[in-house]
Amino acid sequence: MELAKRNNVDIPNLCHKDGIEGQGRCRLCMVEVREGKKTKIVSSCVYPIRDGLEVVTNSEKIIAIRKNIILLLLLKTPNNDYIKSLAEEYGVKAPDRYVDYKVKENCILCGLCVKACEKMGTSAISLINRGTTKKVSTPYDDPSKDCIGCGACAEVCPTNAITMTDKNRIRTIWNKEFKLVKCSVCGKTFTTDEALQFIESKLGKKEERICDSCRKKIISEKFKESFKYF
Amino acid sequence: MIKENRKILVCCGTGCLANNSYDVYTQFLEKLKNTNIEVIPQVKATGCNGLCEKGPVVKILPDEISYFKVKAKDVDEIVLKTILKGEIIDRLLYFDLNDKKRIVSHKDANFYKHQHKIALRNIGEIDPKDIDDYKKRDGYKALHKALFEMTPDEVISQIEDSHLRGRGGAGFPTGNKWRTCSNYNNNPKYVVCNGDEGDPGAFMDRSIMEGDPNTVIEGMIICGYAINSNNGFLYIRDEYQLARKNMQIAIDSAKEHGFLGKNILGSGFDFELEIVRGGGAFVCGESSALMASIEGNVGEPRAKYIRSVEKGLWDKPTVLNNVETWANIPPIIINGAEWFKEIGTAKNSGTKVFSLVGKVKNTGLVEIPMGTTLRELVFDIGGGIIKNRPFKAVQTGGPSGGCIPAEHLDISLDFDSLGNIGSMMGSGGVIVLDDTTCMVDLARYYMEFLSEESCGKCTTCREGINTMLNILNNIILGKGKLEDIELLESLSETIREASLCGLGKTAPNPVMTTLKYFKNEYMDHIINKKCPAGVCKNLTSYSIDKEECIGCGACAKKCPTSAIIGEPKKPHIIEQDKCIKCGSCFSVCPTGAVKIGGALIESYNK
Repeated sequence: MELAKRNNVDIPNLCHKDGIEGQGRCRLCMVEVREGKKTKIVSSCVYPIRDGLEVVTNSEKIIAIRKNIILLLLLKTPNNDYIKSLAEEYGVKAPDRYVDYKVKENCILCGLCVKACEKMGTSAISLINRGTTKKVSTPYDDPSKDCIGCGACAEVCPTNAITMTDKNRIRTIWNKEFKLVKCSVCGKTFTTDEALQFIESKLGKKEERICDSCRKKIISEKFKESFKYF
Repeated sequence: MIKENRKILVCCGTGCLANNSYDVYTQFLEKLKNTNIEVIPQVKATGCNGLCEKGPVVKILPDEISYFKVKAKDVDEIVLKTILKGEIIDRLLYFDLNDKKRIVSHKDANFYKHQHKIALRNIGEIDPKDIDDYKKRDGYKALHKALFEMTPDEVISQIEDSHLRGRGGAGFPTGNKWRTCSNYNNNPKYVVCNGDEGDPGAFMDRSIMEGDPNTVIEGMIICGYAINSNNGFLYIRDEYQLARKNMQIAIDSAKEHGFLGKNILGSGFDFELEIVRGGGAFVCGESSALMASIEGNVGEPRAKYIRSVEKGLWDKPTVLNNVETWANIPPIIINGAEWFKEIGTAKNSGTKVFSLVGKVKNTGLVEIPMGTTLRELVFDIGGGIIKNRPFKAVQTGGPSGGCIPAEHLDISLDFDSLGNIGSMMGSGGVIVLDDTTCMVDLARYYMEFLSEESCGKCTTCREGINTMLNILNNIILGKGKLEDIELLESLSETIREASLCGLGKTAPNPVMTTLKYFKNEYMDHIINKKCPAGVCKNLTSYSIDKEECIGCGACAKKCPTSAIIGEPKKPHIIEQDKCIKCGSCFSVCPTGAVKIGGALIESYNK
């Protein structure tokens, strides 16, 4: 799938993100692969590339599969905007008698949040339980001591399923409250104290309390300075 | 008449244990201690004999007398009459319902005489906790031969030549698996046994692990030698406590006797074997999920584009085989590939252990040559349907398999033939169904099982199976619509093609095969709001045919809600508002006057 992306061929997916290994969870990225006389259907995010592989990304069969997968997700999260727009794009409509319009579920169990948290080094959330009771949560749904409130999980989530509220300098996420830090330059809150402390413990030195955009401004000023002499 | 070297074998497999066979065993020991007898017979607690419904089973050798449904209070009589006087106790003998006669030795019973035991060769004959019993029946001779008379390459070649195919369900050529794995130059390598038997109704592997653990151990050590691996893991599902106990005893014994550990039998080859307790999920029987579980991770499968023989346990080359496959290895090494190929068919050599259950007269474990027909299995060995009701279908392969209707009764039971008609051999479960089984409810049952056991990783399996279950639930409640069939078929296609692992890919099979062969039942449920088998309560009603009713009153007596009224010798009537559709009247009526009808139409006139 990564190879296709680099060559401007679009293969839809929900559980893949640059920087995170393919998971094979959502099954939306299925493609047809032809090796000799045999054709098989594989998930392009994990299938190993080999020279001479013929890949078909838009056959009738593949499109039928994509539509059914979107239908299944629509039945799980009938009120989610992202899934609803995906359904419209592919012309998928769920039969009314099987939709429970009262369902407010947003999570499609793509697992990207878990991977993001893993990459951050905290691993505070995970996929728990089995089958249709599977969900993303902290151990025993309790506030996790490993969660630093960085919000990486909420950022990668394709369907906005993770609730993170910033109010009155307090961030609430995964049943835990964090202190938000103000940028020493512009005064806006940008991350949590706990996240900064976590980064400091990893880097072994003190981090300045400066937000992303101010940091970029400072660096661009430094570039301007150094180029002044050319 | 006192005979020397007498042996009394009491079955102590889980099935008979549940029927208090251990009391029978201890009672024999007790009674013989207090009996005046020249040579005290050996009493052994063995593994499963197969005819589990008729247990506890007691066999007396060398008389070749088999007693069934033995209770502890029968033991005194057996000792006094059979052991001391050689008299046979008729009422404890096997009674053949079809030929209507008693049979002395179980070997003459239809259930046993068609069998050819290889994997089950020792079970019921030895004490699984006694390694000497195993050694007396060629135990560990194969290991000796492999280590001292064969090279690892020759061992693999012999397994390849035998055409042994995996007995776990997929039927992959075992020799090929070993060869490919041994060719990877990446150490350490691992040997794994899949003892996570999960199909409802399957207990072949349990019987082997309980009744003859050493055959599995020996098979694995031989494989280790062949592929150059020094570590093996036995993944046993946690619910099989007796199997785990007996396996551990066998491992410890084997180690004491020099068959495991360092420098086995002085050959210079080391092999260690460890039991890993199952995670408690059906999906852990899937090979990649099983390996994840051994590694300590959640039992979720991975896409197997790179096979486990290349990257398995801890990303190292791993050979994983099923319990029954391992049980076949020692006999093949001792007797040779040609011997094995003479049994079974051309591409499916050897035997297969089937668990024959359901509406059949003789239920239990049978081991028969590949190529035996389904008709032979159900009617000759199984004795036919209980009460001689009409045969409807068999369900093979558990939740991954499909149903086979009467038109295919003469099909040969082997991997390829079953695969060709859309079913699957699977692990060997054969559930016999008659006309009182509802095929729609059967499909629903399997979907419910799978929806609970799906690991939940991929969308198609997790959401797809659940959606199909909802559709089927609607159908059996009487809320089905014709479009549902199309939706079921479309979703099945997608789930089959796009799912990550075998559980998902084969999940639609029960629905697909029942739709293929029993579409009329689906139509009855959806259009006529009727369940022809009388199983789906919402779509069933019972009524009495005035012409056929003889007024015997048997139904009224049986009815739990007193819903049947009528005078003696006059036609009876069922009061529908009191009827709970239990079907008791249907089963006791001597003339078949009680008829099964569909849902009372008034409720569905919307």
